[in-house]
Amino acid sequence: MKAIPLRRILLMAWRQLRRDARAGELRVLFFALLVAVAASTAIGYFSARLNDAMLLRASEFLGADLVLAGSAPAEARQIEAGTTLGLAHARVVEFSSVIATDEQIQLASIKAADDAYPLRGELRSAPAPFQAEQPGGGPRPGEAWAEARLFTALGLQIGDLIEVGSQPLRLTRVLTYEPDRVGDFYSLTPRVLMHLDDLAATGVVQPGSRVRYRELWRGEAALLGRYRQAIEPDLQANQRIETASDSNRQIGGALGRAERYLNLASLAAILLAGVAVALSATRFASRRFDASALLRCLGLSRREALLLYGAQLAMLGLIASAAGALLGWVAQAGLFVLLRDVLAQDIPPATLWPALAGMATGLVALAGFALPPLASLGRVPPLRVLRRDVLPVPPSSWVVYATAIAALGLIMWRLSLDLRLTLSLLGGGLLAIVLLGGLLLLALRGLRRLLAGTSLTWRLGLGQLMRNPLAAAGQALAFGLILLAMALIALLRGELLETWQEQLPTDAPNHFALNVLPADKDAFAARIEALSNQAAPLYPVVPGRLVAINDEPVRALVSKDSQGERAVRRDLSLTWAQELPEGNRLLAGHWWQAGQDPSALPGVSVEAELAESLGVTLGDRLGFSVGGVTRETRVTSLREVDWDSFQPNFYMIFEPDTLQDMPATYMTSFHLPAGRDRELVQLARDFPSVTVLQVEALLAQLRSILAQVSLAVEYVLLFVLAAGLAVLFAGLQSTLDERIRQGALLRAIGAERAMLVRARRAEFGLLGAVSGVLAALGCELVSALLYRFVFDIAWQPHPWLLLLPLIGAVLVGGAGLFGTRRALNASPLQVLRDG
Amino acid sequence: MSGSILIARHLSKVVPSAEGDLQILSDLSLELDSGASLAIVGASGSGKSTLLGLLAGLDLPSSGEVLLAGHALQQLDEDQRARVRCAHVGFVFQSFQLMESLNAEENIMLALELKGSSAARRRATELLERVGLGARLHHYPRQLSGGEQQRVALARAFAAEPQLLFADEPTGNLDSQTGAHIIELMFELNREHGTTLVLVTHEERLARRCQHQLHLEGGRRVDDGAAP
Repeated sequence: MKAIPLRRILLMAWRQLRRDARAGELRVLFFALLVAVAASTAIGYFSARLNDAMLLRASEFLGADLVLAGSAPAEARQIEAGTTLGLAHARVVEFSSVIATDEQIQLASIKAADDAYPLRGELRSAPAPFQAEQPGGGPRPGEAWAEARLFTALGLQIGDLIEVGSQPLRLTRVLTYEPDRVGDFYSLTPRVLMHLDDLAATGVVQPGSRVRYRELWRGEAALLGRYRQAIEPDLQANQRIETASDSNRQIGGALGRAERYLNLASLAAILLAGVAVALSATRFASRRFDASALLRCLGLSRREALLLYGAQLAMLGLIASAAGALLGWVAQAGLFVLLRDVLAQDIPPATLWPALAGMATGLVALAGFALPPLASLGRVPPLRVLRRDVLPVPPSSWVVYATAIAALGLIMWRLSLDLRLTLSLLGGGLLAIVLLGGLLLLALRGLRRLLAGTSLTWRLGLGQLMRNPLAAAGQALAFGLILLAMALIALLRGELLETWQEQLPTDAPNHFALNVLPADKDAFAARIEALSNQAAPLYPVVPGRLVAINDEPVRALVSKDSQGERAVRRDLSLTWAQELPEGNRLLAGHWWQAGQDPSALPGVSVEAELAESLGVTLGDRLGFSVGGVTRETRVTSLREVDWDSFQPNFYMIFEPDTLQDMPATYMTSFHLPAGRDRELVQLARDFPSVTVLQVEALLAQLRSILAQVSLAVEYVLLFVLAAGLAVLFAGLQSTLDERIRQGALLRAIGAERAMLVRARRAEFGLLGAVSGVLAALGCELVSALLYRFVFDIAWQPHPWLLLLPLIGAVLVGGAGLFGTRRALNASPLQVLRDG
Repeated sequence: MSGSILIARHLSKVVPSAEGDLQILSDLSLELDSGASLAIVGASGSGKSTLLGLLAGLDLPSSGEVLLAGHALQQLDEDQRARVRCAHVGFVFQSFQLMESLNAEENIMLALELKGSSAARRRATELLERVGLGARLHHYPRQLSGGEQQRVALARAFAAEPQLLFADEPTGNLDSQTGAHIIELMFELNREHGTTLVLVTHEERLARRCQHQLHLEGGRRVDDGAAP
């Protein structure tokens, strides 16, 4: 017999799809797919663009996307390589110089920048010291902007002339903020900003002068990558490349955690939507057994029947995925519009990639979950038209589960790009399902005996569960999974936010005071105490350079561009302390012990990461050059430092009484509420030597980044909820036909609606409660693992999870009643129609 | 009339369809005495099941009225009609319609418990023994053959001692031998309980076993009116 042309089968599939859609047959499958794709697309877009936005913020700390820094001017070919790629370019030269007025001189750190500077972020300045700042602009040739403390130190006013080298410059504004300077606490001298065109005329920069040249670049990530590749191989020994992603510790930590959270939440959403797709695809297949048998009778071959339904599903998949991708795109675009005030303005536009990836996710989920039940449609024996109890030979369950798990794994891996996370989630999940499922089966079997003596309502409701304990256990696991995913995501959200809040409390120090002279120390400490209730102790600071490790010159020991290399290239702030400072944690060795051998080398405590980069361990001898004298020390402890604390932090802490003979200044940090600028001005006037740095801008920047991250986290939670609901209704829908039949029968033989409601309530309430117990157990287990291995947060038990059984009973009970209301309202006449 | 358990007056049923309204029953009246038996006979699509549904209060007529044990069904809402069915009516269906989630004994207990019977289990066991399934109390419907399922359904129908039994093609899904056994059993139980029987069938032979026959064609009575 001639085969039916493919075109005709496809046409049939299309017609059938439209009929099914009109009859409302495809609603749940469509919805499940829609949610899976929309969640995947929106989260994909959202994290990609949010990442861009946060990187942009981080770029501001650099004033650019990429900086080529060196102690000599960049070579012409290095500049050319960037300009030919079309990257925006700015040049900055930094050096120290004495600023002279007619009466006084003051050492200042000078920055000469061209018109393009800064490429990211903006300068801020005020018309007079300690007045309100305005963003934008920069000094023109012949002008200079200086920090307020230079005005204080030299008694200057706006309009006065200062001399940088041999070039007179007119002070036109007070410099209040440079985007690329925040966090650079080591520049102890006041800043002067001038135009690059005036640099040559100063005559200050001569061969051999200590000058820092910075070439700033801005452009698309791909172009920057190409630029980096072009210049990296033959970088000079004095040059290095800085980018936003490695520029800031505080942001890095928060970003990393947020990204992992977004990944995890999207995995949860996809997983749930995948389960919904699986449930509704199974129903799709089983409801077509009759039609399939009929078509086989009418002469369709097995292959053709399979093709017909496969095509129908593929069409549905494509339409639902496209709609889901569009919905996901609209959702993220809408959110970015809502957030336009919080987020940076120039976020790169969204590409098509996340939408395509989202669609692929939907189609893979459909294939993985729907193909096994679909395959059984092709095996429906034609005999079924005569005998309805003839069911298709089920495909090997191994094939079914392997396909579904492979599909899940593929999706999870694509999303997280983290094979370990994917495998551990999948493996842990499977193990939990087997263990909990087994327990549940046993419990249900035990329940059957208990049930014999209960009321009709309970027996009707629970009979539904007992009849097929395997299916009931499956349902409880599915609902448990929903509750688990939702509880886990909510739990993590709360604790991540809390961690971030703790990281940046509202009274975090927002001012640093440097250069406090020993003579002023006590008076200054008293003043700070009066001004602020959040102040760190005053730490002595002695500039010194690490020169030798175990008598070997240190420069030969450190690798280029490492943290160690950066640390030995400049003076470190050395301090001493009796007690371990707050925010420090001893990782190895011990803090100072009384009664030590006085002839032994003085002890030093080293920050652990630097120690690792330098290859320094306990007991090593470190040589420091301090004030021209070399000091030998021995490493007695390694410390972990909380760099996010906005406290004075030190790489090297010496044993007390070992540096006291060296000239030291003191530093501290303190919190001053907004609006107390006048007192700050007075402080600066009373202690002219002291440098007060405002880090409010940095704090604000960090807070705004954390606000974005928190928002993202909440937004993703919505998708997880939507996916959870999709599963819930898909699960209910898959048993709806049987329930409608039963509802009609019970009504026919005289049951009232209220009794049916009670029975359903008993069934779904118990199902929900059991799911809640499973979810509470699972949630504690998974959160303990995640906190430890993924988020690096300390884990504590969560007693509120004990509410989950109740929440489950209410949620699943309510949704169960709502989802099966058609069964409650089924006309009893239906039993005659069926008959 | 005080002896009538079931009265129908001028029943009509019209359902909307794509081609306009469809008249399924027109102006049909009947009256059935307590303990009598009536067969509703007709070809497929003649309106038999629709009439049964209206008489049992599973559906409401477009016009006309049904009085079941004195209750005017069209004046009651669905829950009130359910209570009337619970008190007075039993059913036997072509496709058995047992609760898949309950075993044979529980299926019978269901009808008793709905009525508030206190000795449901004992009565269910007795009835199952009566229909020859004493050894299969705890079997689920899917573990029983078609004939056995219909016997459970019969036991359930008579369990609550209904005054009226509606049977819709009770042998339709059974082979002729099993069907004959079921019919025998049904009439025996009917006699034992003194139940009024309304039987829908397309088999003339079966119909003749009832005291009255009502013939339907295209939704109208076509018998000579000898039926009640």
